[in-house]
Amino acid sequence: MGERVFFAIAAFGVIASAVGVITLRNPFRAAVALIVSLLSVAMIFLLQRAPFVAMIQVIVYAGAVVVLFLFVIAYLGDKPPAVGPDPLARYQVLAWLVIIGLGIEGFLALGNSRLPGIRANPFQVSDIGSPKAIGHAFLDSFVAEFEGTSLVLLVAAVGAVLLARRAVLGERGR
Amino acid sequence: MLIGTLSTHHQATGVPLSWYLALSGIMFLLGLLGVLTRRNPLLLLLAVELMLNASNITLVGFSRYWNVSDGQIFALVVMVVAAAEVVIGLGLIVAVYRQRLALDVDALSRLKG
Repeated sequence: MGERVFFAIAAFGVIASAVGVITLRNPFRAAVALIVSLLSVAMIFLLQRAPFVAMIQVIVYAGAVVVLFLFVIAYLGDKPPAVGPDPLARYQVLAWLVIIGLGIEGFLALGNSRLPGIRANPFQVSDIGSPKAIGHAFLDSFVAEFEGTSLVLLVAAVGAVLLARRAVLGERGR
Repeated sequence: MLIGTLSTHHQATGVPLSWYLALSGIMFLLGLLGVLTRRNPLLLLLAVELMLNASNITLVGFSRYWNVSDGQIFALVVMVVAAAEVVIGLGLIVAVYRQRLALDVDALSRLKG
């Protein structure tokens, strides 16, 4: 019973804060709602026997990524961007149609799934989520992916520096 | 290993995989709704983060279901890609802002055919 109560609390946190992220007008408040959402997802990861991923979620996501967001929000100032009436307002109904259609599709797919044990209590798991297991998996089976992530991070860092440089040069070094 | 001991004696009250999938689907749709309806690029990036996290819940859930680490590795790679995407996205937003343009994705339509 305990796990299901834990799941209910985390799921409520995830959904409530996700609604906050997509409805709050103030970017600062939306970013804080995102922190709550990410921490709730970390709770879900703990429940799924993935303590290492949960830890990385808290440190990298709720820590570094959201701090980056808050830093840019603070840099850009609190004033809302000056916008008039939405020129694409009449297309919003299409967005809702897509959401409702995908929701029905996912509901049917989940309801008709024949995957064994998908709706039953989960099986026992061995040690798959500890740092040791993740490290072994990364260095034994997924070395190419491991190196690929380093390359992605390097490209992102170089790209960010180039973007900032061009922006400064565009203002003649101001 | 608090989490490990919680599960060993009694598996009768665990959370089924379908619950995780349902939660992930709801979170993904909320993020998609945000991406489709928001106009501020900053808030659009926040909604993209929601979608990426929803996919991570599914990946780790199936990792637990099949009793292998592969899904968790995939989730970690997704996190790296998300971090890179945030860096580039925020760099673009700051560059747009410094050009004195409005922070509105609908206004940035010079490349429209």
